[in-house]
Amino acid sequence: MATPIMAPLRPPALLRHPRAVVLILALLLALAAVFAPHLRGERAAYRLLAVVDVTGSMNVRDFGREGHPSSRLDAVKTSLRELAARLPCGSRMGLGIFTERRSFLLFEPIDTCADFAPLDGAIAALDWRMAWEGDSYVARGLYSAIDLAAPLDADLLFFTDGQEAPPLPHGGMPPFAGEKGKVRGLIVGVGETIASPIPKFDSFGHEIGFYGAADVPQENRHGPPPEDAVGREGWHPRNAPWGAEMAQGEEHLSAMRAEHLQALAAATGLGFTRLGPATALSEALATSARGRPAPGGRDTAPIPATLALALLCGLYAAPLLLSLRHKRTAAP
Amino acid sequence: MTLPFDLGLDHPLALLLLALCLLPLFATPFQGTRAPSLALAPEDGASTALAVGVRAVAVVAIAALVLGLAGLHRRSESITRLGTGSHLMLLLDRSASMDNTFANRQPGRGEESKSAAAKRLLMEFLARRPNDQIGVAAFSTSPIPVLPLSDHGDAVAAAVAAIDRPGLALTDVGRGLALAIEAFADDPAEGSGAVLLVSDGAALIDPHVQAALRDALGRRPVRLYWLFLRSAGSRGIFDKPEAPGDDIPQVMPERHLNLFLASLGVPYRAFEAGSPQAVADAIAEIDRQESKPQLFTERIARRDLDRVCYAIAALALALLTAAKLAERRMDDNARPLPRSTRVAPNAQARPLSAREAA
Repeated sequence: MATPIMAPLRPPALLRHPRAVVLILALLLALAAVFAPHLRGERAAYRLLAVVDVTGSMNVRDFGREGHPSSRLDAVKTSLRELAARLPCGSRMGLGIFTERRSFLLFEPIDTCADFAPLDGAIAALDWRMAWEGDSYVARGLYSAIDLAAPLDADLLFFTDGQEAPPLPHGGMPPFAGEKGKVRGLIVGVGETIASPIPKFDSFGHEIGFYGAADVPQENRHGPPPEDAVGREGWHPRNAPWGAEMAQGEEHLSAMRAEHLQALAAATGLGFTRLGPATALSEALATSARGRPAPGGRDTAPIPATLALALLCGLYAAPLLLSLRHKRTAAP
Repeated sequence: MTLPFDLGLDHPLALLLLALCLLPLFATPFQGTRAPSLALAPEDGASTALAVGVRAVAVVAIAALVLGLAGLHRRSESITRLGTGSHLMLLLDRSASMDNTFANRQPGRGEESKSAAAKRLLMEFLARRPNDQIGVAAFSTSPIPVLPLSDHGDAVAAAVAAIDRPGLALTDVGRGLALAIEAFADDPAEGSGAVLLVSDGAALIDPHVQAALRDALGRRPVRLYWLFLRSAGSRGIFDKPEAPGDDIPQVMPERHLNLFLASLGVPYRAFEAGSPQAVADAIAEIDRQESKPQLFTERIARRDLDRVCYAIAALALALLTAAKLAERRMDDNARPLPRSTRVAPNAQARPLSAREAA
């Protein structure tokens, strides 16, 4: 046959071939998909510093389902690990612990996706044995955690049951010297509101029972005595300004002190929430922490790729549909 | 969703669109040819191949677009390679004295505290050793695990960056060492562990803890390095006692910690550094010592393959476009044909029946 198979096609000829035009369009769209840019996403990523209370009262087992009690610290660890897994990629989380009267930074915020394994391992390794003192000055610990978070430009997640040990003096909680609301974040209250006994350990870490009423200070006798001490049994202005009786109280039992934590939250400009599942925690974060746009957000390639697929399928489906219609009209 | 070859999909449901691959098998965008019958044409291998090929290319184009949209990627994986590196546990002193300078003063203008110097030099050390498995533990009044052994350099750097924050009160080296050695319990790489203890002082080690350390090192020997940051006026590791009565751990804890560590029966080296430069020299020496051939796992990050899919689709579409543009009707050169010369519809049956008769 003498047919010139590869005769050059003149532009007007191209327009006579709408299907070729569709194919060329699909080709151009596929090429666009190859080179489509990643848009900087608007999705919220967080930069967090999680500070966990590791004092003795966090060993109280008032979490867990029936028959499987778990301690407050374990509940915090579970929740925090889930939260780390849920945070959108590009988020960073640092870790610190609190005992005595200050917070101690373990590491600065690291990427919750790329460095998930060490982050998860570090959270899993949190233990009450890391505590270097038995005291638990929650307010001071919170203030020092805020001081740690500020230079890191991180939002704070402070997990505590709010039990001050020794109890707060009668003057109330120490004043917050920092700028209220400069560091944002959440105080997460851990524990039930019904008081439970606190496990006691010996110096080798073996559990040896629970704290009794006489084991812990029931009243803070630093600073000036309260006004009503005058009426106490055996009161003497010099020899017994607090009264002659042993202080009675429930300080050897531990419940989550929501009012105290709410007062602290109000003083420091943080939010307050109870420890719940990680979903609830990330919802609370959305209102209390600053979301930051994370780099490498949305990919634009699916748009041209979908169009290319639609054109290509339309191109193949059109003759099929046409022939179906022909058949139907042709049928008597 | 799991696929062979470590491939994964972000949106597995999108695979339902693969049904569209059937379209090219039933339809074609190419022009039909006014031939009375296909059987009129002689059997031609090249033509058959071309026909099959054009359909296959169309199937490939659709499949590649669908796979790209489904988010095809190669999952991150770890491969084991032989290289130089080490499994190293950094055991860092976070006691309050680390916040002073080597001259044992509060750092003034332009002066560097011991912890800041250690941080800077350890950061440089880490930057030179991308292949190491490194973990971090801190100790002060109590031992504090910070990071498990891992090859995440960024995480280790974040932990080392935290050491210039204000420290705690005391120095309980013994429990810190026990913690660092314990970190190797799950580490399978036999004979490759090392603990680098960075401290500016020593303390008594409780006899219980001493026994526990001997036990732990008996089960899992690791090499020990002690980088002692010596402040001006403090006792050194290698000091000799001036009076016989002074040769007790209570008076010379540094000397006795050194003797104790040397007696543990594992490779041990102590470095006494009185200035940032001496610390740098000691770290360079440890760097040399810990560069033995070593099996290490390298993690390869997830690689998105959607762009590859789209490129394949574009190539297939280019072929289809070329085929479409090259398309000629068999009767193109005979056009315009007078109506009468067109093949009569009833001619269609003839060759078929002829072949059937044959």
